[in-house]
Amino acid sequence: MTNDVLILCAAGMLVSAYLMVGQKALFTAIRLYSAQSLFLGIVAITIAISESRHDLFVTAALTVSLKGILIPWFLMRVIDRIGIHREIEPFLNVPASLLICVGLTVVGYRVSTGFPEGARGVSHHLIGTALSMLLIGLFLMVTRKKAITQILALLTVENAVFLVAVGVTSGMPLVVELGIFFDVILAVLILGILVHRIVDRFESMDVSRLAKLKG
Amino acid sequence: MNLLVWTLVVPLLTATIGGLGGPRKFREATMVGGLSLTFGLCMATAGQFLRGTIPAAFGDALRVDGLSALVLVLCGFVGLLSSAYGVGYLRRNEARRLVTPRMRNEFYGLIPAYVFAMLLVSVSNNLGILWIAVELTTLASVFLITFHDRDTSLEAAWKFLVLGSLGLGFALLGTVLLFAAGQGQLGEGMSALHWTRFMEVAPKLHPYTLRLGVVFALIGYGTKAGLAPMHTWKPDAYREAPSPAGVLMAVGMLNGALYCVLRIHLISKASLGPAFSGDLLLTLGLLSVLIATPFILIQWNLKRLLAYSSIEHVGIMAVGVGLGAEAGVFGALLHMTYHSVAKPVAFFSAGTLAQLHSSSDFGRIGNGTFSRAPIASALFVLAALIITGSPPFGLFFSEMTILRAGFLGSHVTATSTFLAALIVLFCGFAFQVGRVVLGPPRDPAERRVPLPERFDVSTATAIVAAVLAVVSAFYLPAPLMALIRAATQVVWGTP
Repeated sequence: MTNDVLILCAAGMLVSAYLMVGQKALFTAIRLYSAQSLFLGIVAITIAISESRHDLFVTAALTVSLKGILIPWFLMRVIDRIGIHREIEPFLNVPASLLICVGLTVVGYRVSTGFPEGARGVSHHLIGTALSMLLIGLFLMVTRKKAITQILALLTVENAVFLVAVGVTSGMPLVVELGIFFDVILAVLILGILVHRIVDRFESMDVSRLAKLKG
Repeated sequence: MNLLVWTLVVPLLTATIGGLGGPRKFREATMVGGLSLTFGLCMATAGQFLRGTIPAAFGDALRVDGLSALVLVLCGFVGLLSSAYGVGYLRRNEARRLVTPRMRNEFYGLIPAYVFAMLLVSVSNNLGILWIAVELTTLASVFLITFHDRDTSLEAAWKFLVLGSLGLGFALLGTVLLFAAGQGQLGEGMSALHWTRFMEVAPKLHPYTLRLGVVFALIGYGTKAGLAPMHTWKPDAYREAPSPAGVLMAVGMLNGALYCVLRIHLISKASLGPAFSGDLLLTLGLLSVLIATPFILIQWNLKRLLAYSSIEHVGIMAVGVGLGAEAGVFGALLHMTYHSVAKPVAFFSAGTLAQLHSSSDFGRIGNGTFSRAPIASALFVLAALIITGSPPFGLFFSEMTILRAGFLGSHVTATSTFLAALIVLFCGFAFQVGRVVLGPPRDPAERRVPLPERFDVSTATAIVAAVLAVVSAFYLPAPLMALIRAATQVVWGTP
């Protein structure tokens, strides 16, 4: 039962990453990120209950409140303020992008086969999913032009790392996790401020225009 | 509270007081005073280590061994130099009414904060704290890059933050995988992520998981160190950051990130043998030196030139460690020390030249700066000689040590390539410096008349740094040499 829930949630996270690739409306992409974080929260709660590890409840609470609600709310506010709602044509069209992501998932799963099964017997599924998400995040990063989409790609990578941390190692020491949460929030705030400044200056958040510095 | 904790608290307090506000004199005194005290405390902490007690705090989460002590002292040293130069730097801009209150708050707040984060990196014994500290250095430096608020500084800051965060994402995954490799061995709680704990259980770590973790962590921290091919943020960030912040990035951050790389390398070495991460470091290091070469030849900007030079130097250090010989490791750490002493001179003189001409682009600076700014130009020529590894200066000796280790060992082809690249680099650098400093001055009617060079705090700091760089070639204080040896022992010593 526990394992089914874990695999279902991990799959949910991967699916939301795929949907993000196929998505041009920025609001929807942010909601997908929010859903992805909620799935991560469920993974943490499931493991917390099944192994009675109480510090994972804290992780779950922080994941849901910060990544599920606070960060998406902040990003939506940024978009509302600057009034840009859609991703322009990406460097690569959607069908081709999805096809590449399927390839990346295969790579992720292939790499994960060398891992030990671990106590729960699902470690290698979780690592496979996480590595796939990491690669999809990287892919989003290089093919999209909008600053907000790049932030979402970074956050997807970060969720992938947390899926490994929670699902495979049952969580890092609590102090370390708190520190990481704090840093991530700070990074998103600073990225938000930079997006504001970029839009003020260039009247666009198309980061492909940031190309003066070469050589 | 113990000495080590004070070493971290002082720069943090300096940042808080400096960032809040107050009259100019007060803020200047706070920054320089605070960072002088910090340097003093760093030396005291290292002294404590040399006398045989290991300084530690918070249940060994912070712990100073030989490697930490060396990096700590070098960071403290650069922090002090940077603050002294920074006072003059801001005064020059104040005189031209270029400074807004926002800039003042950022400058006096973020520079000590950046120093704090770097010191925290250098004393972290816990891989989690280490990651948090590196992320803090990134966040503290973003607004130093956007300091001048130009179009290009936004571009540089965006690239820096996105690439840096991505690198740190990799480093975090690496850390998590290392942790996963030690499931059931490392134990519970905070101490499970201690580096010393990893070293104790190294032979029992799960090899496949560990390998993947090491690769991710080396790429991640390598991004922060500026190893090729993850170096692309560096030239942009160096060009945009004000010189006092630039020198912190080029020396403090470089040493800090290399420190992380070495810690990961050591875990890998203890568990998988020296070849796995050693070869990876050798490859990345050689690639960095090779990539820096053409960009130095075609460079169009003074500070980008320094950035490529710093990519070259981090490459040299990585090669030294990757060769897998004790002499190579010693050479790399000696190189780190000499580089930390020499790079500030280059940054301070180049910074002054850039400030006088209101730009660091060669096109704006023009030729023949020697007739316009003799002190800065002379210092820049001296710095260029030192950082390209000319005899009789220190970097020459460290490079020779590494080359000798390479030719005696099994990596002869790699070492030969490395030597060839170093020679081309030297010529490229000499060409660029000659072009800017010597050369015939352009037609006086055509030339934008720069500000006259004046003797001020910044000039004095640059001269002091230059004297130290020259003296260090002939005389390294015995305690510093002891620290380098202790650090070599940590990196080379038996697992």
